Amino acid sequence: MSAAPSLEAITASKAYGGVQALDNASFSALPGEVHALVGENGAGKSTLIKVLGGRVRPDSGTIRIDGAKVVHGGPNDAHLLGCWTVFQELTLLPWMSVAENLLLRREPRNALGLTSPRRLVAAAGRVLEKFGITEIDPRALIEDLPLAARQVIEIVRALSHEPRILLLDEPTSALMERETAWLFAQIRRLRATGTTIVFTSHRWHEVETIADRITVFRGGRDVGSFTTLAEEEAVTLMTGQRVETFYPPLPAAPSARADAMLSVADLAGGRLAGVSFTLHQGEILGVGGLAGHGHRELFLMLFGAERPHAGRILLRGREVRLRSPRGAIRNGIALVPEDRKTEGLLLPLSVRDNLTLAVLDRLSRFGVIGRAAERAQAARLMARLAVRAPNAAIPVGTLSGGNQQKVLLGRWLLADCPILLFYDVTRGVDVATKHEIYELMMELARSGSAILFYSSDALELAHLAHRVLVLREGRIAAELPALDLTAEQIVAAAMRERLAA
Amino acid sequence: MPPRAARRSLLAHAIARNIGLVLVIFLLVFSIFLYGLIYGLTEGRLPGGFELTSTVNNTMPLVLAAMAQTLVVLTRGLDLSVGGVVDLANALGAISLGATPARMALASAFILLAGAGLGLVNGILVAYGRLQPILVTLATLSIYQGLAIRILPQPGGAVPEGYTALLTNPSVPAALLYVVLLGLFWTAFRRSQAGIAIIAIGNDEGAAAANGINPLRAKLLAYTLSGFFAAAAGLFLVATATAGDATTGNGYTLTSIVAVVLGGVSLFGGRGSAIGAMLGAFVTTMIVNILFFAHIDPLYQSFYEGAFLVIAVVLAEGLGRFVRKRR
Amino acid sequence: MTAKLDRRNLLSLGLAGALALPVSARAAAGKKLKIALSNSYIGNKWRIEMENLFKAALLMEPFAAEIEGSWFNSGNDVSKQSQQFSNLIAERVDAIVLNAASPTGLDGIIKQATDRGILVVSFDNVVTAPSALKVNTDQFAFGRMGAEFVAKKIGGKGNVIMVTGVAGTHVDLDRNKGAESIWAEHPDIKVVSRYTGMWDSATAERNTAAALPSLPPIDGIWCQGGTDGVLKAFIAAGRKLPPTAGEAENGFRKFLTGYMGHQVDGISIGQPPFLSVISLELARRALKGDYPKKNITIPFPYVTSETVKVGETVFPDLPDSFFADFTDAGPHATVKICVDAALDGKACAGRLDVDLPSA
Repeated sequence: MSAAPSLEAITASKAYGGVQALDNASFSALPGEVHALVGENGAGKSTLIKVLGGRVRPDSGTIRIDGAKVVHGGPNDAHLLGCWTVFQELTLLPWMSVAENLLLRREPRNALGLTSPRRLVAAAGRVLEKFGITEIDPRALIEDLPLAARQVIEIVRALSHEPRILLLDEPTSALMERETAWLFAQIRRLRATGTTIVFTSHRWHEVETIADRITVFRGGRDVGSFTTLAEEEAVTLMTGQRVETFYPPLPAAPSARADAMLSVADLAGGRLAGVSFTLHQGEILGVGGLAGHGHRELFLMLFGAERPHAGRILLRGREVRLRSPRGAIRNGIALVPEDRKTEGLLLPLSVRDNLTLAVLDRLSRFGVIGRAAERAQAARLMARLAVRAPNAAIPVGTLSGGNQQKVLLGRWLLADCPILLFYDVTRGVDVATKHEIYELMMELARSGSAILFYSSDALELAHLAHRVLVLREGRIAAELPALDLTAEQIVAAAMRERLAA
Repeated sequence: MPPRAARRSLLAHAIARNIGLVLVIFLLVFSIFLYGLIYGLTEGRLPGGFELTSTVNNTMPLVLAAMAQTLVVLTRGLDLSVGGVVDLANALGAISLGATPARMALASAFILLAGAGLGLVNGILVAYGRLQPILVTLATLSIYQGLAIRILPQPGGAVPEGYTALLTNPSVPAALLYVVLLGLFWTAFRRSQAGIAIIAIGNDEGAAAANGINPLRAKLLAYTLSGFFAAAAGLFLVATATAGDATTGNGYTLTSIVAVVLGGVSLFGGRGSAIGAMLGAFVTTMIVNILFFAHIDPLYQSFYEGAFLVIAVVLAEGLGRFVRKRR
Repeated sequence: MTAKLDRRNLLSLGLAGALALPVSARAAAGKKLKIALSNSYIGNKWRIEMENLFKAALLMEPFAAEIEGSWFNSGNDVSKQSQQFSNLIAERVDAIVLNAASPTGLDGIIKQATDRGILVVSFDNVVTAPSALKVNTDQFAFGRMGAEFVAKKIGGKGNVIMVTGVAGTHVDLDRNKGAESIWAEHPDIKVVSRYTGMWDSATAERNTAAALPSLPPIDGIWCQGGTDGVLKAFIAAGRKLPPTAGEAENGFRKFLTGYMGHQVDGISIGQPPFLSVISLELARRALKGDYPKKNITIPFPYVTSETVKVGETVFPDLPDSFFADFTDAGPHATVKICVDAALDGKACAGRLDVDLPSA
């Protein structure tokens, strides 16, 4: 601790409406240090990063860079000081190309100050190459890229500025193993050159792998900085209470005679090259594997949002054609997606409206919604799910990510759908909320729901599923039973490595 | 490294990026063909120089209004005051153009600047007042129309013949030159810092701001340029008419939006090309021509115009989706 | 009558000699003349009647035999009307009968038409292009006539309201000026309110209802259009109906004979929808070379509470919004045509003789 901190926040506070996002929080990071910020969603990590990166002006408190007090007038001021940020909600422009995004405001220009698409693409290609990215076409529109590729572009853009201070807010939440490894290599390279790196993550093993120092946040405040910290201790610090068992016990696997709720035969389309399986009542069937191997298509087809090219879907032995999500819901199939903002929730609507959206038919009479009934239902659910919101009338968009996810879960809980499709529901969700979601899943399974559960976190699958199907190149590469299943086995199957049977 | 990012051919990229433009070119070619066919069948000859010239001259004001509308629509706004600015420029032009070339140049410059100023007012209200563009420009539309009537209470005034000859020469389709110049302007603007900023804020204002783009400045510029081009539309309108009328520009608010939509510019902002919108303006004129020579009952004309518009928009959307899926 | 016609023929012959009236090539070749109606707005009853009368005339002699007619609407979109005009030029019509969207907006294209030898006859919303012939009424006289009537009825003293038309049009301006020239002669008449009725009964009714509560007792109404709406607003407000000068809406004329329990002492002056027929006749005869190419101003058809006649100038079975001045009446009528022509564009029995003013 001999070096002077390169980046400091001293008693910074920031409130949004009535919510105190940062409450006299202090933080400091050294040159050449990788500093992890951990805490539940809503603990103030993202706000601190925004304050440090000049995106948000604190209500009070001081920011120092290299010991000198700075007042950011906007991101540009931070950039001038060599401080670049990768925001959690990406700041890419969807209908512009990768090249335009990467080189925004520093496009190669001719004497007239005009850029040319050709030079722009060439320059962007060089940037991508410099950071070892060869598979993203600089001419592609951001909109056409998968989330992981977008996240990579966002990171490359910050890296290409040769930052002295790099702030990364949940950079890995959208990344798969390979990309995470790439990011860590970049972080190590920067660390060697004396760059200060601050990042947040909900994945403890990542924090353990890369962080030199860990600062824990809770309720808008820093509650301690550590060079070493055990996961259990961290969880205790983050939640303020001891978490007994992180993964709740699985209910007993359904017997072979249990009702087949959902059967899929040779389903194909998009990246999905033909899969068959059966999901039983009370079963949690895990689906694993690397992203881009057909999981997404599988889930979207089962939810009626995409049409299969071939194959059949049977509900309780009866063949159905799912033409729309509406049709799927009517057939008792609900989807809880990964990307809460775009796929599941209507952010400007209130928590209550979002909860009751799928069951308005039931709450309304002659097309008029029974407000009292809606209110009561919503209140009960919010209590049951422990949604942290001041009241049911505030827009969902103002809640933290984990709480948004809970609202979405609650919606399907209310709808009583017997078949639930969970698609990477815990991505980007904090520890305590993750735990709550796990508990909820178990409860749903015990009460007889059949759950198809995809997760990018192999550990989660290993602990929370009765069986795990591993998809590779659109087919089922392996079916692994839950007993003594390890994350390594799932990853190995996904990576086409020979399994020690 | 990322899971899927297949490379497409250069052409496929160009088409996917400019699907709106591709479609409006197709529409224009198709409608010109249809027009030629119907004209040939009913008149027993093909359209010639007069038809081309009058079509171009009649469309010029809309071409400029479409350019004006595009700039604002790209920022995810809507400029309803286009018609009001056209009216004002029309009225001012009718009373001030004078007879000498110097006077005409001076008056034109003043009118264009006045238009830019009116646009700036919109921009200030939208950017700094944080008001909805549609509300601001609806209000200023009435104000600008009112001012125009005040300046020219009854139709009249006169435009010198030389001015008409320069802008919308009735004998040769020289105005096509202006279309080409506008196309060049757009191409350059799209590649300039300012143009990129306007498109970026239409993509996602928050993200653009996080990238250091000043959304306020970009909006001010978009609305100011919109006013400028709307005023130019007014000058072309008064030049074709050869005399002023402070109400004839009203229609351009709506028709400019139609041209923009036909031209493949997204009303959600951030996507599209002013060249498409300008071609869209020509498509609307071709629709009038086709319906004319097809001798459609006048009472059903607006029905067919509307149907054509719906089909064009649906086609654009469908084609766009098709191209996207087929990567 | 014969003598009169003879004299006119003589006169026009004389004029033809003096001006060397060009005779259309088609007319000379004995082919049908191509005459098109280019109308702008078609969204009100007046315009529909105007167009129906044009269509009916084309089905009746002498027009049916001599003319190949067509009609086009453009709405209030000047550039669209201008484009249709260009297409008519391309179609090489002999004459265009025009109700313009703007008095000046088509001047450029009109000049191109007349330069190519096409006769342009403009009526109602007449254009300023010097090369176009104009057929119209004297709108200044409209304003004066109504105001004079009101002034006389109220003894040159009292409160009047003016319900004006669509701002920015010649018609509106001229009618207002005409009225004001009369008020200027009567210093005791006070115009207590002046607002637009947009020549539309519903708008006039709404605006009147909004204005009335703040107004003193009204002794006279001078209205450009939407007259029945104004009176209905008076009734709704519980006011007595004062002497009224208004347009030729059937609804207003019903009040002249007694309607809704009220009888109004008034004058109903009409901008006649048959202006389109007069313009057609002018085009036909000018193309044949038997009438000079000159502007025509026709007198307004009008009725008062004393002269209004059920079935002839007011129609209890037809809607209030119908314009009851679709035909002229009386011994010196310019056009006499049946109600079916105005309602449906159907031909009436017999020939359609249009009595143009002596040349």
